[in-house]
Amino acid sequence: MSETAWGTWARRVGMAPGAVYALVVLSLTFTLFTTQFLTLRNLTNVGMQGSVLIIVALGMTLIILSQGIDLSLGPVMGLAGVVLALAVKQQVGLPLAIVAAIVVGGCFGLLNGVLIARLGLPPFVVTLGTFGMAQGLALVLTQGSSIPGLGPAVQYFNDGRILGVQVPIIMTAVAFLVVYVILYYTKFGTYVFALGGNQEALALAGVRTRLYKTGVYVLGGGLAGVAALVMTARMNAAHPTVGVGLEFDAIASVILGGTSFERGKGWLGGTIFGALAVSVLRNGLNLIGLSTSWQVSMVGMVIILAIVVDSLRGI
Amino acid sequence: MAEGLVLQLEGISKQFPGVRALDDVSFDLRHGEVHMLVGENGAGKSTLMKVLAGAYGHDAGRIVINGQPADIRNPAQALALGVSVIYQEFNLVPYLSVAQNIFLGREPRHPKIPGLIDHTRMKAEAQALLESLGVDVDPQAMVHDLGVAQQQMVEVAKALSVNAQIVVMDEPTSALTTREIVQLFAAIRRLTTRGVGVIYISHRLEEVFEIGDRITVLRDGKWITTLNVQDATMDGVIQAMVGRAIDRLFPRDFMMEKGEVAVAVHNLHRHGVLQDITMTVRCGEIVGLAGLVGAGRTELARVIFGADPYDEGEVEIFGRTVRGSPTERVAIGVGLLPEDRKREGLALILPLRENVVVASLRRLFPSGIIRRAKEHAVVTDFVKSLDIATPSINRMTKFLSGGTQQKVVLAKWLCTQSRFLIFDEPTRGIDVGAKAEIHQLMNELVKHGAAILMISSELPEVLNMSDRIYVMHKGRITKELSREEANQETILRHAMGVTP
Amino acid sequence: MLHFWLHSLSRLAMIIVLLVALSLVSPSFLSLQNLSNIVRQASLLFLLASGLTVVILTAGIDLSIGSVLALSGSVAANFIQQGWIWSGSLIGLVIGAGCGLLNGLMVALVGLPPFIATYGMLWVAEGFAQVFMKGEIISGFPRGFRFLGAGYVTGIPVPILVMIVVLVVSIFFLRRTNFGRHVYIIGANREAARLSGISIRGNLLLVYSLSGLISAFAGLVYVSRINAVESTIGEPLLLPAIAAVCIGGTSLFGGEGGIGGTMVGALIMTLVTNGMNLLNVSPYWQSFVMGAIVVLAVALDQLGSAKMKGA
Repeated sequence: MSETAWGTWARRVGMAPGAVYALVVLSLTFTLFTTQFLTLRNLTNVGMQGSVLIIVALGMTLIILSQGIDLSLGPVMGLAGVVLALAVKQQVGLPLAIVAAIVVGGCFGLLNGVLIARLGLPPFVVTLGTFGMAQGLALVLTQGSSIPGLGPAVQYFNDGRILGVQVPIIMTAVAFLVVYVILYYTKFGTYVFALGGNQEALALAGVRTRLYKTGVYVLGGGLAGVAALVMTARMNAAHPTVGVGLEFDAIASVILGGTSFERGKGWLGGTIFGALAVSVLRNGLNLIGLSTSWQVSMVGMVIILAIVVDSLRGI
Repeated sequence: MAEGLVLQLEGISKQFPGVRALDDVSFDLRHGEVHMLVGENGAGKSTLMKVLAGAYGHDAGRIVINGQPADIRNPAQALALGVSVIYQEFNLVPYLSVAQNIFLGREPRHPKIPGLIDHTRMKAEAQALLESLGVDVDPQAMVHDLGVAQQQMVEVAKALSVNAQIVVMDEPTSALTTREIVQLFAAIRRLTTRGVGVIYISHRLEEVFEIGDRITVLRDGKWITTLNVQDATMDGVIQAMVGRAIDRLFPRDFMMEKGEVAVAVHNLHRHGVLQDITMTVRCGEIVGLAGLVGAGRTELARVIFGADPYDEGEVEIFGRTVRGSPTERVAIGVGLLPEDRKREGLALILPLRENVVVASLRRLFPSGIIRRAKEHAVVTDFVKSLDIATPSINRMTKFLSGGTQQKVVLAKWLCTQSRFLIFDEPTRGIDVGAKAEIHQLMNELVKHGAAILMISSELPEVLNMSDRIYVMHKGRITKELSREEANQETILRHAMGVTP
Repeated sequence: MLHFWLHSLSRLAMIIVLLVALSLVSPSFLSLQNLSNIVRQASLLFLLASGLTVVILTAGIDLSIGSVLALSGSVAANFIQQGWIWSGSLIGLVIGAGCGLLNGLMVALVGLPPFIATYGMLWVAEGFAQVFMKGEIISGFPRGFRFLGAGYVTGIPVPILVMIVVLVVSIFFLRRTNFGRHVYIIGANREAARLSGISIRGNLLLVYSLSGLISAFAGLVYVSRINAVESTIGEPLLLPAIAAVCIGGTSLFGGEGGIGGTMVGALIMTLVTNGMNLLNVSPYWQSFVMGAIVVLAVALDQLGSAKMKGA
């Protein structure tokens, strides 16, 4: 990176979006409350669990940057996982199965993109509808039950290690790198910022805005497919409802990480912090022994609080 | 004669419903010249440029670029033909860098890795462009972090990078400091030495003489004159901008006794927008607020009405100091007819009937329950007394004509029985007949003891209607004129900050 | 006006088509008993969707209605089962209104986009419902309470009567009161409303609180009808409610539509659900269909909205 980019990076960190504070505060709190938090094993656990969220949140970052939103990414991930598992069970071979999962994710992204970019429908309602559609399809394909026992090839994506580091973490790092390059080093990424910051300027420059707007949703869907692989590997099974709620965590990660809803302002690195903060929150609450039910509302409230505070700080 | 001309606009006419914005206007631009385009508000300068830029179509006439007829139907085509317009509200993406903005849509490709942008080359080329303009801006700085002057330079660099042959600048110096203006002019000169023709729209006549080669004056949508700047004088230009027979649209044949003070503003300050404003309006009078676009008139009106906050000073309405939202204002009897009546004055998808009563609901129906018969009667009354042209009071407001829509807005405020009304460009875009009616209504209101603050860019209207006139310039009130001492030239001078 | 009649005619046509199609599938469909059941079901959906309609009229949205229904219903049920019918119901209503008020505060005071604020509330309310119920089911309510959902008055099911009352009252409220006018103009053009002296904050707070209150009320009727409650009863209700509002002609962009349309939309949605059940469509496919219908309904809304036609 050039020197000015480092400077910009440092300045951004200095401005510290909510996520960084949240992460620090939460980590300290949980370290105080339970001895189990600050262990290598637990932290690795957080990293592993966070990887699914991070991958999805990466796509969500771009979507929100372009002034959109995608509420369907959770169930789409679930559906992709189901497709992956079914393909594995049908003996099509792992590579093809993975491709299938990503394609399914991408197709839903395409559907969302076309409805939103071409027809101009409000993103939150459209993706609420596709949320239902993806959820329904996942249930149909599995008839409501899980698909367990996917074999060591799939499990490698959770248990395996490359150079001593767990595969999910490597995958997350790779995904981050890829999206980072796309966002900051390609035309596509530039146009994502422009879609959010000044769509007219982009149109005036002769760029096909609808194409790129659709592309953002396709990318988000594809990433959900990748996340599905990690998730399915971790559970060694595909559950049709596993993704529900993930989109909320993803949105929270993105907002906490400093990406704003309305102006094409954002920071991909921030999303990592945001996702980690959310993961730490869930992990910590678990360690304290809070029941899952409490966790749902606690996480919800903390996240809303963070968004409100961020909002009041004056975006 | 045609050689050396990069642009010819021949006989351009443009009609909007009820208003002839451009009437057979011709204009030409030479390579490497700075051609100033001046005229009052509404003279047609912006419209002409929007036609050139492809933002508007035109009804008659043709555009010739470099000797070739050009068919410009949308901004992208204009851009492709080398026309670059720098609007007052810049067209930049805030969270991208300077270089990225300059090359938006034309990013250089990485020589080795396909699909990636060559940031090094982009940065270098942006740097070169900026340097050639004499501008010191870091190409990797984010546009959002730049000041207005620097952002403008980015726009100029952008125009340069697309090899624009014609650059239009609309009021480029309105937000700049003296030093920044010097830099801008240096940059413009660098443009012209490369053969670029610059069309420069401005109200600041001193700039005309500093940087202009030729000057064209428009008035009421017509071409008046084109001069070499060296042959022109300040007075002559103002005369040309203004010189018209002042036909009294509606003579004021009465003088009201001035009643209580409707609004008193003391040392009002709104950071960056209004400075040290002190003024009053009394019942029984119409006070005109004159000035050029950007002088701060609408901003002042909005602050008085409570639509925008203010930082220092005091606003007293009917003797009470007010600070809150429009809700409080409306309750004590203030009304605002906004400049943009479609976006701020009316709910277009609602029926006329609802738009008329919407501000008076509490007064008409204190119990909270609407009685249809009463509503019908009240609205029908207004339709009659204001002569509102509509087949039914239930017609969707969107389908009414401009003049009729304005009358609906007026009806809304009359219905509230407000005693202090602020009219922001009350007759803009309205045909002559309706104009006269609205003026008559305003006079009637004042006769019945109301106070009116009228913002208008049409000097005849200001002169005809006002008892007193405040002239604003750059957020301040530069002059208060009585009806007797006011004339078009005086007003224009003070509006442009040209005082002897 | 033409727009309104075209709209009503098309919806009526939809209903007739559905009725005919379903009667072909099942001969007993058009029996009084069955139709009465359908209208009763529709009335439950209508109740929930009516609060949502008012919110959407202001160009907002409330995604938390399902969870608020579940939360308030669960808490109320807890007390009602022990015999405290009136206070239990009141507690439920207060909880609903409270959640709505919080939504309103986030939207009107903090300025959060409504979909994010209410989406967050969805999770918070859901979580609290789960905490409260601990995964259990409460069932078996006293006679007095059951009357609300399962009772009959002169042969007409009580929910239908409730629906009629709510329909009449809410139409009156929206069309004949100052508040109703405020709702419409805030949705039609918020800035013009503000510049006409209308208090945006106050009205929005009221609107969202109302939505929460109505969700709670719908919860009471619903719980009474099925004589049971668990923390997840609200989940499958959000999409049909949104679909009902959109199909009924209320535009997501605000300022257009009304409660009458929502009732028609609720009827259509109920007929569709019934049809799917009759055709033995699996509940899983039904989720898919629900989602698809919402998408379709929104697309139709976009095409038909006056605001979008360059107002």
